[in-house]
Amino acid sequence: MEFFLEIILNLVGLLVGIVVGTISYIGFKNTGSPTLFRISIAFFAIGIGFGILATGFILDDFIFKTGDINRGISTLGVASQTVGYWFIAFSHTIRTFFPKSRYLRSIGAIPLFLVSFNYVENILRAVSFILLVYGAIETLISYIQGRKKTTLFVAIGLGLLGFGEFIGWYSFVFPETILYVFSILIKIGGLISVGIPVSKIPLRKISFDENL
Amino acid sequence: MTEHRTQIKIVGEILDTATHEIDEHEGTTITHIIRKANISHGRLSTILNNLVSQGLLEQVNSKRSYRYKTSSSGREFLVAYKTFREFSDDFGLTI
Repeated sequence: MEFFLEIILNLVGLLVGIVVGTISYIGFKNTGSPTLFRISIAFFAIGIGFGILATGFILDDFIFKTGDINRGISTLGVASQTVGYWFIAFSHTIRTFFPKSRYLRSIGAIPLFLVSFNYVENILRAVSFILLVYGAIETLISYIQGRKKTTLFVAIGLGLLGFGEFIGWYSFVFPETILYVFSILIKIGGLISVGIPVSKIPLRKISFDENL
Repeated sequence: MTEHRTQIKIVGEILDTATHEIDEHEGTTITHIIRKANISHGRLSTILNNLVSQGLLEQVNSKRSYRYKTSSSGREFLVAYKTFREFSDDFGLTI
């Protein structure tokens, strides 16, 4: 049941990521807006991340049958998603993400080589959570300023993705409970909510760049 | 607090003015664009030259001054700009 839900979640994530990324890229090609370029990179990275995870789960379900996704594939997928969430946060003018000290920057990457894939994945998930909360708060502020319903949906979507990640941590503490399934369902809801702005694009009314 | 406008947003406002605020000579004066788009003359001249060379604006010659109107490709750009401005607004971002 959990495996099946994971595959559904990751396929929904792949679809939402690629669709929003493609629309943003078309927007960038037509207007040259750097913001749309950043949104397209963000959602392509998120979509590819979910796609990698879906592939990992499907491979294990049909070929390896170990009952758990390969840690390397899982880390790669989560890393790609984190890059995407970082670009969303970066678009909201995140300025002081990395430490300013050269010494801290030079040793910042060392832990990645010292810890196992499992730890790296947990670190990336923690970073994703922070970026999602940041993105959700910034989008919510934009909603308060502009009062656009679709902005609220995106803010709620990012918030649900972060909340799902948070609930997912509790499933480590309380394994074999409904919490894990609950976290996956929350994330699926979040992804659908983030994808709502795509429905507002009147694709037929726009004559797109012929060079595309 | 004043809002920082991106280059593309300024271009959108110029094209919008040159589309909807045309006079009996079927064009808009530089003074009118300066007032509507809230931009300095020096900066506007550079942007107008770029827009004309890219074919988004047409220069209409009248007796006293140059006038500008949005070309058909400029109108297409304006439609795309407005659509994707809404799209980036949905994500709480400025285009």
